[in-house]
Parts: sequence; C-alpha cells; structure tokens
Amino acid sequence: MPGQGDSSSRLSQCNCVALFGASLGLLSLALPWLSIRSSRLAAGDPVWLWSAVGPLVAGMFLAVWLLALRAGFDADRRRSAATLGAAGALLAPATLIAAGIGSTQLLESAEAVARSSLSAGVWIGLLAAYVLVHTAAQELSARPRLRGAIIWTPIVLIVVAGLAGAYSDTSLAREFAGNEDRFVQELGRHISLSLGSVAIGTCIAVPLGIAAARSKRAERPIFVIASTIETIPSLALFGFMIAPLSALSYAYPALREIGIRGVGTAPALIALVLYSLLPIVHNTYVGLKEVSPAAMDAGRGMGMSRTQVARRVEFPLAAPLIAEGVRTASVQSVGGTTVAALIGAGGLGHFIFQGLGQAAPDLILTGALPVIALALVVDIIMRWAIARLSPKGLRTEAVT
Amino acid sequence: MIKMDNLTKRYGSTVAVSGLTMDVHDGQLCVLIGPSGCGKTTTLRMINRLVEPTNGEILINGEDNHSSRPEVLRRSIGYAIQSVGLFPHMTVEQNIGTVPSILGWSKPRIVDRSRELLDLVGLDADAYAMKYPHELSGGEAQRIGVARALAADPPILLMDEPFGAVDPLTREMLQRQFMEIQRRLKKTIVLVTHDLDEAIRMADKVAVMKSGTLVQYDTPEELLSRPADSFVRDFVGADRALKRLSRIPVTTLMQPAKAVHRGVPLNESDFEGLPRYVWVVDSEERLLGWADTSGGRDTASWQVEETQAGRVSVLENASLREALSHMLGQGVRNVPVVTAEGKLVGEVTLKDIEEATAE
Repeated sequence: MPGQGDSSSRLSQCNCVALFGASLGLLSLALPWLSIRSSRLAAGDPVWLWSAVGPLVAGMFLAVWLLALRAGFDADRRRSAATLGAAGALLAPATLIAAGIGSTQLLESAEAVARSSLSAGVWIGLLAAYVLVHTAAQELSARPRLRGAIIWTPIVLIVVAGLAGAYSDTSLAREFAGNEDRFVQELGRHISLSLGSVAIGTCIAVPLGIAAARSKRAERPIFVIASTIETIPSLALFGFMIAPLSALSYAYPALREIGIRGVGTAPALIALVLYSLLPIVHNTYVGLKEVSPAAMDAGRGMGMSRTQVARRVEFPLAAPLIAEGVRTASVQSVGGTTVAALIGAGGLGHFIFQGLGQAAPDLILTGALPVIALALVVDIIMRWAIARLSPKGLRTEAVT
Repeated sequence: MIKMDNLTKRYGSTVAVSGLTMDVHDGQLCVLIGPSGCGKTTTLRMINRLVEPTNGEILINGEDNHSSRPEVLRRSIGYAIQSVGLFPHMTVEQNIGTVPSILGWSKPRIVDRSRELLDLVGLDADAYAMKYPHELSGGEAQRIGVARALAADPPILLMDEPFGAVDPLTREMLQRQFMEIQRRLKKTIVLVTHDLDEAIRMADKVAVMKSGTLVQYDTPEELLSRPADSFVRDFVGADRALKRLSRIPVTTLMQPAKAVHRGVPLNESDFEGLPRYVWVVDSEERLLGWADTSGGRDTASWQVEETQAGRVSVLENASLREALSHMLGQGVRNVPVVTAEGKLVGEVTLKDIEEATAE
C-alpha cells in the first residue's frame, strides 16, 4: 500500500493552520465587502468585492488565496512558510486598500451623506491574512530577518496607505475625521487613566504581595479580598463607587474641589486600581515564593543581612514575575477603562457608548479598534521590556 | 579551634541536639555523621548561628560566637550546602565574589580572586567566569559552591553534604580534588554527611551522632576498629574491616619485591635465591610482568607473562582496600606496587593484610 502511506504522510506534513487561514480567505471573497447606506444611520445594501473593484482585481485576490491554499500542502516547510508569509503580508493591506478604493468609487455617484461601511468580507479577509502571517512567523523563527519582513511589511503598507488617504471614504474614516479632536483627547485620557491606575495599583499591590508571601496570617485575607474584587463585574464596581463617593463629597466639600465626586475620574480610577491588584499581588507572591530556598539559605549562611538577601537575591529573582503581573494588569486595565466612560471618566469607551446610543456601528469601531490596538501595543512593549530587563541568567525561563 | 560546650537545641518539645560537647582542632576536617534527624545539620548551623542554641555555647578561637553580629560572624566562615544554592541571576564570577563584595573588596580584586578560585577547583577561568548557573553541570555547580565558600579565605569552612547531589563517580572525583585543596589550605572544616565512605575517606575525625547526642568522636581508624557501642558498630557496618583498609595506604605494608631485569643473565648465587615466580622489569625498572624461574638462568629465554599496568599492579598512592580487591579479583596472593610512571617499587602480600586487620 505505498499510495496509502504517501497520502497519510502528506496529510501529516501539511500546515493545518495555513489551510484554515487560506480557506477563511477564500470564504471572505464570497462575503459582502462593503455596505452602502444612503445616510449614516440608514440600513445598508451589500456590495461584493468584484462589483466594488472589478472582476480583474477580485480574480487576483482569488489567485493569491489559492496560492496560499496550495502552499499549505507544501511538504517543504520553509518554502511553504515563505509563500504563506508573503501572501498574508500582501493580502492584509490589499484587502483594506480594495475596500477603501471601492468606497471612493461607489460614493462618487451617490449623495454626499451616503456612507460605505466595511463588511464581513473585509474583516474575515484581514483575519485570514493575519492567520497566514502568524503561522509563517512561527515557522520562520530561525530566520529573523525574513520573519521581520513578513510581520512589518503589512503594518507599514497599511499605515502608508492610510496616510495617503486610501481609506478616507470609508464610513469608519469619516466618523474618525468628524471626531478627530475629541479622539485625541479621549485617547490621551484612556492611556493616562489605564496606565496611571496600574502605576498606583503596583505601588499598593507589591507591598501586599510581599506581606502575603512573608506572613501566613496576612496571606489569606489579602487573596480573599483581591480575588473577590476581581469577580465583581466592572460595571457593578463602578456603580458601587458612586454612592460612597457622593456621600463623602457632600460631607466634605473640600473633596469636591479636588475632583472627588460620585462620578468622573475619581471612582473610575479607584475601581481600576482595585482591579489591577490581583494579578500584581499574585505574581509578587508567586515570584517571592519561587525563589529557591537554597539560594536564600546560601545567602544568609555567607553573611548577607536580611535586607541584602532581599535586595541581592529575592527581588532580582522575583522581578521578572512581578513585571509579568504588571503587564497582565496593564492589558486588563486598557480594556477595563473602556467602561469608565459610562460614569463620566471619558476614554475611548466614549465613542463606543455614543455609537451604541446612535446605532452607528462605525462610531463604535472608532472606539473599539483603538482599544484593541492599544492593548496589543502595551502588551508588546511590556513583553519586550521584561525580556530586556530580566537578569540574563533567568532570561531563558522568563521568555516562556 | 571550634569548641562546642554542652550545646542543646530544642524545638518546642522535640530535642534536636542535646548536651553536645566536642572540639574541632585547627586545620582538621571533622565529619558529623549519623542517620537523618540525628541533629548533625542543626549542630553545623549553630556554629554560624543560622540556628541559635537553646543552651550551651560555641567558642571559636576562644571567642564566643555571640560576641559579634551573626552576619559579621558568617562572613568569616565559609558555607557550602548540598543544593549548592548558586544565585541563578548572577554569573559564576559574581557568585564566587558574593562575600568579597559584601566585605567591600574592589572590583578588580574580586575578579582576580574569582579566577584564582576557579583555577583552584580545576575549572578554566576564561570558560567559566561568565557562565550562568543554569549552564553548569551538577559537578561544576558544586565545585563553584566550594569556590564561593572559600572566596574570602575564611579559616573555617562549614559544609552540609557538599558532594551530595551528584553521581557516585563525580562525587569521588570531587572528594579527591577537595582533599587535594584541603592538604594545601589546611582549613578547619566541619562537614555533614550521611555517607560513611565519604566520612572514612576524608575525615581527620568523625563524630557519630544519634538522636541529638554525640555517640563517638574519634579518628576513622579508631571508629572502625573500636566502635563505642552497638549503634556505632551497626552504623559502620559489617564491612568495617574493609572500610578500615581504605584508610591505610599500601606503602605502610609494602615490602621490597624480588625483580629481575629482562635480558640480563643471572649469576649462580643470585639465581639460587630466587623464588619460583619473580617480577620482571626493564632497564628503567618499569614493571613488565612476571616469569617462571624454573626455566633456568638464561633470563632471555624466559616466558614473561605481560602485565598491563593497572590490571595486575596498584599505584603507590592506593589504599590497602584497592590492593586486596586486586588480589581477590586476580586470584593472586601478592600484588606489585608501581609509581605513576610504571616503575616497580615493592609488593604487598595477602598475608600481611590479614595480619594487619586481625583484631
């Protein structure tokens, strides 16, 4: 049965993730690309890729996705990965640019208030291209330059096309253009609120983590409280904050002067600080508990004082894990801050809730997409910083 | 000298160490041994005050070890433990430099000292100074643990199973190497182990402990030949006679060996005095093998049974135990002793060993 053996080995050699991505990409071509509405809030009519940019371009999309599908079966892993990476790196910006150019062409003949929104085809296409880039990047970890090119080419192309105005006629871009000043303001507020709360949270959580690691008596209450806070839905926690803070600010008008009221920044900040506690307390605790007792015994036995053991041994060894906790808290806080808009603290959630109120999906995206991007950027920067700053002897462990 | 006087440590109602009195003399290696839970590690840790005694005192060179702060005391006492406890975030060089850096030595002096100690423990300084502990094998890590304990040249060394966590072959190599270092440095060492062979091999004096008390404190020879009670007798085991042999170098029982130079004819009187079998050496006294003398005076015609160095002979720094093992293994009643270059220096006979071990 040589044939059977061949087919089974071929199946085990194919890249399942790539096949999934390529199939998803082909599916995207069958879905509506754009949705044309006569006004910002009206219902839309679907437009497919071939009618938006013409059958020739649509045919090219089809060809590249088929190429990717074929590469998923390629037994030569490296050639397969290079093909998949190149396809994904081109398809991601091409998908967006096709949507942008299609919008411009379709709106030329329409009224000024007409809108063109990105539809399922674009989003699925982007997701599929991301899957290809991701699997290619993993396969090519041994070739950092090719890997870098595959990751950065689509990002650069998308940004350059955006700066050149390729998407300016999409509804998303128009919503953004209409809110640009407000956007910058809310973005700044979002960043300062989320990262500021983590900074304050770190100052509280690290000592709590140390206390939990050092004292059996403190350990339980600290974790019970921090975990309980984490289980409260964010909306409820923001709500809880209103009554006591209002009461306080009525009782002591001086507090009102410095901005502590039932709604606004103060309750949002307090809630976000409380949320950031658990990951940092937990990681500080685990970090300190995992320091090898032998290393500490050796340190004390050689004549280090308690502070020297803490400064030279315990904290350098626990630091990477503590930093991981701060990273988790930061990413979580970027998301959590979104809800803060509900109690008047502002932030990118403002656009989401406004969009929900007006049933304007593109306005929602104006808030939601930057939140996702911000969370990713914070995550990437902090991972990089942790890897760079971890003591060299620990780096192998810290990366995993 | 370390003088322990009526040392007692209680944890609640359990007694870890009870009324222990013993002296460790300068330059001696004292091994604390006993079954687990006998209080040997507690005793060791009371010397550098990682454990504070409930009662009794420890004098180091006549001075109470409570006369200075524990940190200051510990910096003058080397400390090496079984799990080594190297700091994973520091290089080998920084690990070795721990105590010097606490003592405020200058950077270049610490670097020089680290390299010197890497040489001492037989590791290439250039290759190892910048490595991290996770890049080391178990044996290398333990050697660096010892180097770190020696860093500030403390007169006293406390070692808690310093060769514990490695395979038997590496352990023996580390022990040999450490004995070599100790011969040169002459530190006052207290070493905890549960490995009797290690104790016999290394100790100047062995302290056998049992549930917190000192049962016998003697030289290894005394311990093996005159166990103080049935506990020690059982502890040292039924093969204590063999263990004793491992303490005695072959040279103590070695006698001149009858040897004949190959190819050199013998005169009548020399030939008459020869036994049936003789050792044959070359012109540089190197052992070639043995020959049957019944063939006559013409040595050139003798059939020389070749010996392979190390298979039939033992080295002059071997123990009687090794010599006996050779005899039993080869089924012979005597074994030639050779130098590292293969020169015949004498022989040891089974009869002599029997006489020496008879009690």
